[in-house]
Amino acid sequence: MSFWSTHPKVRWMAPVAAVAVVAVTPYAVSASADSGLPSRTAAQLLADVQRSDVATMSGTIVESANLGLPSLPGIGGSNGSADLTSLVSGSHTLRIWVDGPDRQRLAVVGDRGESDLIRNGTTLWTWSSATKTATKRTIDAGDKKASTPTALPTTPQDAAGEALKAIDPTTTVTTSGTATVAGRAAYELVLTPKTKATRVAQVRIAIDGVKHVPLRVQVYSTQLAKPAFEVGFTAVDFGKPDARQFAFTPAPGTTVKDGNAPTADSPKAPAPTTKPPTKPSTKELADKPTVVGTGWSTVVVAKLPADALAGLTGAAGKAPTDKGSDQSSAQMGAILKLLPKVSGAWGSGHLLSGTLFSAVLTDDGRVAIGAVAPAQLYAALAAR
Amino acid sequence: MSVAEKGVEQGEVGTRHTGSTATRPRAVSTRLLRSELGLIMGRRRNQMGMLVLAALPVVLAVAVKLTAPNREGHDAGDFLVQATANGLFVPLAALTLEMTLFLPMAIAMLSGDAIAGEANLGTLRYLLTVPVNRTRLLAVKYASLVIGALIGVTIVTVVGAVVGIALFGAGPMLTLSGVQIGVWSAVGRVALVALYCAAGIAALGAVGLFVSTLTEQPMAATVTVMIVTIVSWILLGVNQLAFLHPWLIVDHWMSFSDLFREPPLWSNLLQGLGQDLAYAVVFWLAAWARFTSKDITS
Repeated sequence: MSFWSTHPKVRWMAPVAAVAVVAVTPYAVSASADSGLPSRTAAQLLADVQRSDVATMSGTIVESANLGLPSLPGIGGSNGSADLTSLVSGSHTLRIWVDGPDRQRLAVVGDRGESDLIRNGTTLWTWSSATKTATKRTIDAGDKKASTPTALPTTPQDAAGEALKAIDPTTTVTTSGTATVAGRAAYELVLTPKTKATRVAQVRIAIDGVKHVPLRVQVYSTQLAKPAFEVGFTAVDFGKPDARQFAFTPAPGTTVKDGNAPTADSPKAPAPTTKPPTKPSTKELADKPTVVGTGWSTVVVAKLPADALAGLTGAAGKAPTDKGSDQSSAQMGAILKLLPKVSGAWGSGHLLSGTLFSAVLTDDGRVAIGAVAPAQLYAALAAR
Repeated sequence: MSVAEKGVEQGEVGTRHTGSTATRPRAVSTRLLRSELGLIMGRRRNQMGMLVLAALPVVLAVAVKLTAPNREGHDAGDFLVQATANGLFVPLAALTLEMTLFLPMAIAMLSGDAIAGEANLGTLRYLLTVPVNRTRLLAVKYASLVIGALIGVTIVTVVGAVVGIALFGAGPMLTLSGVQIGVWSAVGRVALVALYCAAGIAALGAVGLFVSTLTEQPMAATVTVMIVTIVSWILLGVNQLAFLHPWLIVDHWMSFSDLFREPPLWSNLLQGLGQDLAYAVVFWLAAWARFTSKDITS
């Protein structure tokens, strides 16, 4: 008591200490877990991942993307959006439940909404809380998995699969020790492009130390200190999920649609595969695209079909909403107008300069895209 | 009115004073807390405040009832629209609205009265002549604020539920995940929402208690707490300031909708409770550092 009365100001140490504890806690929690994993070489890790046969898991995934795309109301969406196509920008939470190849559920969590994709055998339900609509589809039993209509990989597994495809002579694969992801000890596999010509600085894949499942993928850009794209578990459990998760029964009062019926307003079937922005699909490109360069600094030059150019579909390159619907072409047209105009010996056009890739749409309908700086796109266009 | 009220309150403090000295207080006596709660509940302005809190869910429910048809699909994510299907959505809609302004205002008033109000009326020094040390007095003041937060949130929830069920009925509830949960499960989750909201308001009460120790003007403390609340909401709405959001007291206040997923998503709620706890501890300690070292002159 006497100490307090002679040093009244010392009491202020208490709230200050409390603030310090609050500020430090998140870091302490993430740093405290000592992995204790035996060391593995990069080659061993790659083999581990290919051998891993985890059939059941559930967890929460947080995905965040900073691709440097123009932030417009129509594109991407704010952090709280539950739309499946909103994953291209901002930060999003997903929950997954997997029980073998036939039973999966993916929930995109929004602030006050949720989109669900539930596969149980040959039945695929999609649910949107925004419209209170459930859509039922029957799919072939042969389908490996029900993928989501997004342009970016939605789970760490998808993302790691895409990244590992890039392993070839142009890539240096190393390990950087261990990391802690979702409270689990994990190895880190680091993929570094050998060329300096790409905007991808590094891809880091965290692989679970026990189950050898990718837990987190981070793609670093040469433009940013933080990952430009990151998808990883914040909580994961490898137990068998409750069968309840896959039993979707539409509630009374909700709209139920038949997704197989060929009605005009029924949603399109999900895109067949997810793909990263660096690998443009060729479906809406009229001519066979020209590939300039190799490996990470590949630039793809293609010519858009005339009608697509008119609607400006796919203008922002392979970005977000290459769905081809009227709405998205109108959106793309609006975005295109906001993109800076560029010109050079190769002609003139609009430039989208992202953190991981760049794209140019020329006024004569050519599009060039690559995980490179704009200058290399211009060079590729001029070379043609 | 204020003169009369001063008289009444001083009288009450006097009663408490003699009551406390007459019997030697036990190690943990609830007498001080009961007396504090009696003061809070007895103030006419607080009674009017509770009426206002209770009125909003009634107004909401009646308005929805009168304009019910053909609103579906317009903004179905909103709890209020869903109220037509299930009355249990009315307390959720009411809490969503009142958490932004009315409930913070209620706790701002109570916390303004807690220390600054007593100082302003000149009753604080009398209170401190009671053989109760300042730390315990501050603990009791905060406990009464926590109970006040619980009472406020409970009023909104219970009135909302009663009016909602009376107008729209109750039944299995449609979750955000598209499946239904049973009516008792829904009632349980609404109760959890109420507790969660009370935790947020109680944390704001700690901020109010601290501000209350800084000033002798209860209105200044009340206004400060309201400014803290409103500024927090504004900052939370600016996406460019995302790095700041985890530090805002209101960051996860609206996360209670995660309870209406199937299964519930706990991570945001636990984070919200952690933030509430951090605010409560830091600001209670700050209030303690200030209150136990300052000179009480009035």
